[in-house]
Amino acid sequence: MNNNRPITTLQVTAVITSTIIGVGILSFPRYMADAAGSGAPLVTAAGLPVAFAGLWFTAAVCRRFPQETLFVFSRRLLGRGFADILSFCIFLFFAFSTGLTMRQFGEVCVTVIFKKTPVEAVILMMLLLAALSVRRNVIKFTYIHIFYAPFILSSIFIIVLVALKDIDGLNLLPLTGNHTTAASFFRGMVTSSTLYQGTIVLALLVPLMKNPRKVLKAGTAALLIVGIVYILIVLITVGMFGAYETRLLLYPTLETARSISIGEGVLERFDAIFIIVWVISIFTTIFTNYYLAAYALREATRFRDQRLLASFLLPFIFTASLLPKNVFQSYCLASVTAIVGLILLTLYPLLLWLTAILRNQGGASS
Amino acid sequence: MENWKRKYTSFKEKQHSKTPGARPEQKLGSLLEPNLQSILQVLGEDGDLIIRRFRMYGLYDAAIIFFSSMADLSQIHEHLLKPLMNPPADPSSVPADSRDLPDFIWNLTIHVAQGDRTSDLSSLPDSLVAGNVVLLVNSMEQALYFNLRKIEQRSMEQPQTEQILRGSREGFIENLESNLSLLRYRLQTPDFRVQTCPLGARTHSQVAVCYIDGIANPALVEEVMRRLSMIHTDSIIDAGYIEQFIEDQPLSPFPQVQPTERPDRSTAALLEGRVIILVDGSPFSLIVPALFNQFLQTMDDYTERFIVGSLIRFVRLIALIFSLFFPALYVSIISFNPELMPTEFAVAISGGRAGVPFPAVLEVLVMEVSMEVLREATIRLPQMIGGALSIVGVLVVGQAAVAAGLASPTTVVIVALTTIGSFATPAYNAAIALRMLRFPLILMAGLFGLYGVMIGTIAVINHLLVLESFGVPYMTPYVPALWRDMKDSLVRAPLWWIKRRPSFLHAPDPDRLSRSMPKEYAAQIFTEEGEPYEQQPAHHDPSGHSGNH
Repeated sequence: MNNNRPITTLQVTAVITSTIIGVGILSFPRYMADAAGSGAPLVTAAGLPVAFAGLWFTAAVCRRFPQETLFVFSRRLLGRGFADILSFCIFLFFAFSTGLTMRQFGEVCVTVIFKKTPVEAVILMMLLLAALSVRRNVIKFTYIHIFYAPFILSSIFIIVLVALKDIDGLNLLPLTGNHTTAASFFRGMVTSSTLYQGTIVLALLVPLMKNPRKVLKAGTAALLIVGIVYILIVLITVGMFGAYETRLLLYPTLETARSISIGEGVLERFDAIFIIVWVISIFTTIFTNYYLAAYALREATRFRDQRLLASFLLPFIFTASLLPKNVFQSYCLASVTAIVGLILLTLYPLLLWLTAILRNQGGASS
Repeated sequence: MENWKRKYTSFKEKQHSKTPGARPEQKLGSLLEPNLQSILQVLGEDGDLIIRRFRMYGLYDAAIIFFSSMADLSQIHEHLLKPLMNPPADPSSVPADSRDLPDFIWNLTIHVAQGDRTSDLSSLPDSLVAGNVVLLVNSMEQALYFNLRKIEQRSMEQPQTEQILRGSREGFIENLESNLSLLRYRLQTPDFRVQTCPLGARTHSQVAVCYIDGIANPALVEEVMRRLSMIHTDSIIDAGYIEQFIEDQPLSPFPQVQPTERPDRSTAALLEGRVIILVDGSPFSLIVPALFNQFLQTMDDYTERFIVGSLIRFVRLIALIFSLFFPALYVSIISFNPELMPTEFAVAISGGRAGVPFPAVLEVLVMEVSMEVLREATIRLPQMIGGALSIVGVLVVGQAAVAAGLASPTTVVIVALTTIGSFATPAYNAAIALRMLRFPLILMAGLFGLYGVMIGTIAVINHLLVLESFGVPYMTPYVPALWRDMKDSLVRAPLWWIKRRPSFLHAPDPDRLSRSMPKEYAAQIFTEEGEPYEQQPAHHDPSGHSGNH
């Protein structure tokens, strides 16, 4: 009873939104404040155009081949060998990034919230959960995302609304920050653009979209929503604590959620709500990463589905998550991986798009 | 759908094909005695098999055969033996050629509506065990059989498992024909279709697939038939057997087929475009496809006004969340994150737990398990004792457990809330799935704290999201979000606002109103004299209002 292209534009927006919002949300105001002081919101926004470029290339090339995933048509554009190597690179990146995300997540969990749970248990349980869900097809993948997206967004907006009354406007001035140099601003911009990673998931969804031509619209809407969420979070965090204080906090967003309350103690544990939402958003993020890793490997190795690969990948991702020796190393590695990912996921679609134009392939040119 | 790979014969083929293990076809002989003997060979040892020999019209030797346990004796006397033993008013009209005899008996003598003629001897034992009366006549190479079946049946009662406050008091009973009549009487439309087929190699249980032509999607009907025709078993004892053969995901704890005892509910499902399956001998009809949403709904929601109906649905959802999460949350907060509680409350709880020797997870598990035992015990007992037992179990044992220091008062409160919450879910099978799922959640809470509860919850939700019932995603209309169908989901919009059938069922006629109802027919209903509606004067007031002016 299902038609072949059941995924709507709104659903694609939801998938991208819940994919992007992830582990960084707890700590990123610190980086933004590091880069530009009170100009943090501006730096956050500055990441958007860079992320948008990656999205635009992906959307443009996927729109030209609305019947296939990126992994399939890349073979035709670049030749089998080269395309498979690049698919394998994508797999490596996502598998590694899943592991590192899990590690960061685990570190936060054991230092801040679940103090009595060992970090390996935290990581392994989440990975098992994701591995079970990765066995399903792309439509089910979409369903899982669209169920959680509204919860993630609405809870964040509620927390932001409650926090608004505690903001001191002076903390946010000047808008460009004091003593901001071009270099530090640029560095902040690169960091913030890595926060918007995940738009490549479009490549999976386009062949199932009801209206593949609207993929850019869906992606743009998602980026805008995430951008607004990020900017609001930076606004309330920096507005509440000030840029200098924010730099000193390990997880500024969590501190914000802890500091707010409604009424006289009616609801004062917003951090509990925030942690729940955060765990869900981590799940959706690593779910996408894991899925993409399994899917890319499946395409590179020509498996029929990714069920077996998902289970096979689990020990490797788990090992990757245990590689860093401490919190500091894990964050360093994560930021390096993020920048590698930014380059790979922006340039690869660009390469595909240019090839498609030069070789005049793909249906959308007509 | 990959579970259905076995090759199958279509439902229609199965309807006409012979049942497995049938005897080879054998023609009737012209002599009475050999024919009788060959039937007796198959059924001869049965004490309730009656053979009544007589002389038909005073001319032919004949016999009727039937099972006294299944036949309506008074009807046999009145409508079979009486006309056959009395010579017809004009004796010369009896045909001399015995080949014309079956037609003569069928057309002019017997007053029985259902039956047929056959020349296949081997089919007669099957016909007899189905409750037919067989007539054999000497020198006639055809047998006649008549349906004069009379099976004792209980009267229609209010369904015990689906009590409602406002709505029909009738429930299905075991007899398939009575159940079909309950549906026909509620659905007086020529489009109502019933297809029957015997299933089960030994029991030959009649299974009826009901749907409304033009409303149910043909692909859905076809899929139901396909799954039914793939059932290979010797017995279908109850509709529950069918359910287990046709569900999408047998390993899921959640029901993907909805059983109901209520004809009104079945009718409503038919009108939404669903298909229902009835089995002879079972008072349950199976509604397919069945989604998560349906298990929170009752007929009351529709018969009551929409605000009340919607509020009650919210209450049920809260109860469901109680029954699934309360004990797990309690355990994890007590043992891992007591700082999440307000200080005064934490002090009170730890005061209550002061003498309790077990960790919280063990305490809650023991209490929950004993509650399940109690619930199971009260179901099996007669109602009078059941009530007494539940009072003893809940009040006395609960109170004593606290006094003896085996459990803290808060635990008892939590366990009680959980149990009550699980009873507020209208569908028993869905409620039990959720009740069972709370045990792994409690264990996760005991092992990993709040994080374990969250992981467990996400796992349950993910399972619900990937589940399907007959190709429809289980969480429809929430995921995928179908805004139009959300009018009848957690809130129940006013009936006049729900103008369309659920879109996920892809009904060929998606409009509940107007399109299926011819305009002139509508006019007949809404005007007293049957005049066309348009001809009514524009200022015509309904009679009730005119008196007030």
